[in-house]
This record gives sequence, C-alpha cells and structure tokens, in this order.
Amino acid sequence: MTAKTADGKEVYNKERHYHPQATDCRTNKMLYGAQVKTQYIRDTSLQPMETKDESFEIMLPEGVRTVDVTVSLRYEIWKPDHMIEIHKISKKVSLDR
Amino acid sequence: MKFLKSFLVVFLIMLPISAFGEKAKTIEELAAMYDSSSCKECHAEIYAQWEQSHHARSLMGVLGGLFMTPLAMKDKTPFSPDDPSKATLDTFPCFKCHLPQAVVSADDSFAVDFANALIAQDKERLGQLRITCIVCHNTKAIIHKRSEGYPEANVLYGSKEVAAHEDARFKKIKKSSIMDHAIMCGQCHGMGPNLEFENPVQCATLYGSYMHNYLSKGGQKSCQECHMQKVDGFADHLIAPNWNDLDATKKLLQEAISLDIDTVGYDWLLKSKDHKPMVVVNTRINQNAGHRIPDG
Repeated sequence: MTAKTADGKEVYNKERHYHPQATDCRTNKMLYGAQVKTQYIRDTSLQPMETKDESFEIMLPEGVRTVDVTVSLRYEIWKPDHMIEIHKISKKVSLDR
Repeated sequence: MKFLKSFLVVFLIMLPISAFGEKAKTIEELAAMYDSSSCKECHAEIYAQWEQSHHARSLMGVLGGLFMTPLAMKDKTPFSPDDPSKATLDTFPCFKCHLPQAVVSADDSFAVDFANALIAQDKERLGQLRITCIVCHNTKAIIHKRSEGYPEANVLYGSKEVAAHEDARFKKIKKSSIMDHAIMCGQCHGMGPNLEFENPVQCATLYGSYMHNYLSKGGQKSCQECHMQKVDGFADHLIAPNWNDLDATKKLLQEAISLDIDTVGYDWLLKSKDHKPMVVVNTRINQNAGHRIPDG
C-alpha cells in the first residue's frame, strides 16, 4: 500500500507478503523449486474461509494533512513482473474536517 | 514349483501394468501411446477446453518455461545425473504428476531422450508430452488397485458407465469410483513433501490444504465443483486457472478473494501538546476458495 501527497510525492510504502515459505531443512535459507523444497517453515498465505486483517499506521510528514491512499492486492505468478492485480482501492484521507 | 508359482504371481501382477505393451524409449513413442487426439472427433468442445489447460502443457509451467531443465543439468539438483546420457526415470521425480504415463509406460532410455531434449530446450518435441485424456480417464482413474484391479487397456473410466463407446481403441467406459471426488485431483495436486523419493520433493499442497483447512471448516465442495463447472452440460476441462490467461485468472481470483479498506485521519496525541498527523488504513481480505492461496 502507498500514500501520496496531492503533488504525487510518496510518503509511505509498505508491503505484506502472503505465501507458504519452505526450506530444504539443511539450512535456514528459504528456497523455491519442488526438487529442493522439503518443509514449510512458515505459511502466511490466505487460508480458506478466513479473514486476514491488517492495520497500517502512517505518520505523515509535518505540514501534510491529506494523502491519497492506494491498496493493491496482487498475485505474483512465477516472477514479480508477471502478476495479476486482483483488487486496487484508492481513497483520499484528510485530517481536516 | 515354488519358483514357477512366484513367477506366475509376478506375471499376473505385471500384466495389467504393461497392458499398453512395450515400454516407450523415446518422446515420440510415449506421446503416441497416450495420444488422445481422436477424442476430439466426438468431444470437440471438451478437447478444445483441455488444449488451453495446463494439463495440455504439463511440462511447460507458466509462460512456456521448461521447469524440469535443472534436473537434467549436472549438479543443479540432488537428482541431476553427471551427464544427460546417464539419466534414468529416477532422475525425474516430477514425472509422478507432470508425466505419470512415463512412470508406468516408459523406461530409462526414454529418460535419456527426455534429458537431452531438456538440455536442447526442444519445446517442440517436449510439447508432445501432455496429461492427455487417457492419463486421467485410464492411468489415474483407479486408486483402489487391490480392490478394483489396474486400469484395463481398452477401457476409459468416467463418472458413469457407458455400455458402448465408439472408438477403435477404447470400446468401453466404466465408472471410476473417484472420478467426481476430490481425491481424483488430490493424487497430484498434493499433500506436501513426497517422501518416497531418495530426496524429498515438495510441489503442490492443495489437496492437503483442502483436507485439513477447508473440510475442517465445514466446506463441502469437491475440486471439480469449482474448477470443472458445467458448460453446456459437460464438465469444463480447462480446469481453470490457466495462468497464461491473466484476465480470466484475475476474474477467478476476484471471485475467491475480496478486499475492503477503512481509513481514518486524525491528529494523534503522542504526548502532551505533541500532536502527530496520523492516517490509519485497515485492510480486510476474505478468502473463500477451498484451499490456501497461493499454494506451492
């Protein structure tokens, strides 16, 4: 997710990664590749019939009172530049009434 | 006499396994043994769906990548031979699911041919090897082999019996006990590490996720109910997703996964007289598929 000022300056950028993670059990290095993976050591993937809640706190720089927040949920296939943007939600958030 | 008896038992067990005849020694021989192109004469729509599926390019992965190549390269994996000419069927544990016909119908000469084709990146030859109609509707259609026997050479297996099947080779359709059950897919879309090999191999774990984290929450659908929904009365043999079709896959993912956000902006009082401009973004993702996303 990102937060940008009205003039396009990015003031916040954070990613969360949801996927099973495996090693070969011989070192603690995470690996890809069926022929070497042995055991999941962590699984942050989206589980069936479950809800994943996150809360992002963005401390704005001095003088910034309004930002455009964009949350993008993406599915990376095989490599990072081959991906599907499943959902993208943008919202203007202001501290002033 | 005792030897003869043992021989007869072994022979009777081996007979159904080798019902497809001689073991294939080359890519072309194995492709010919499992060629399903005649199916399209009567099942054109299903065949066209299958041709777009990952089953029709089971060695190619996403975007045409030959993911088994490291297995044929010296020192690249624990299974790799010193030279492609020394490859055996054991060099390629991925055959278990990506080319199950090789396990039952090919020998080590095939593995050498296959290894050389991988090194040469010969997609045209390797592309002939596919999870064809015969693989699911014969080779993988029976899992209770002690109770039901091995798949018969001239029989296809489906979700129901068909007395007469107009085909030169497969003249009967018998009912498979598992064809419309999740375990049919679970044979390959797996449960976790495959520990029967000399080194572990861990590919798909979808069926494990389905069993332990979907059924346990009250989910009751089979793999087929979601991934093979009926089109014009027949199960869709595209068996989506087709990862090369980004638009269709996006739609599928959107049906399974929702995203909502809530935001608030305020001046946070960190300490006395010290307000900090703060924006909070809360995200909520719901997932309603029958397995984890992503898997692998």
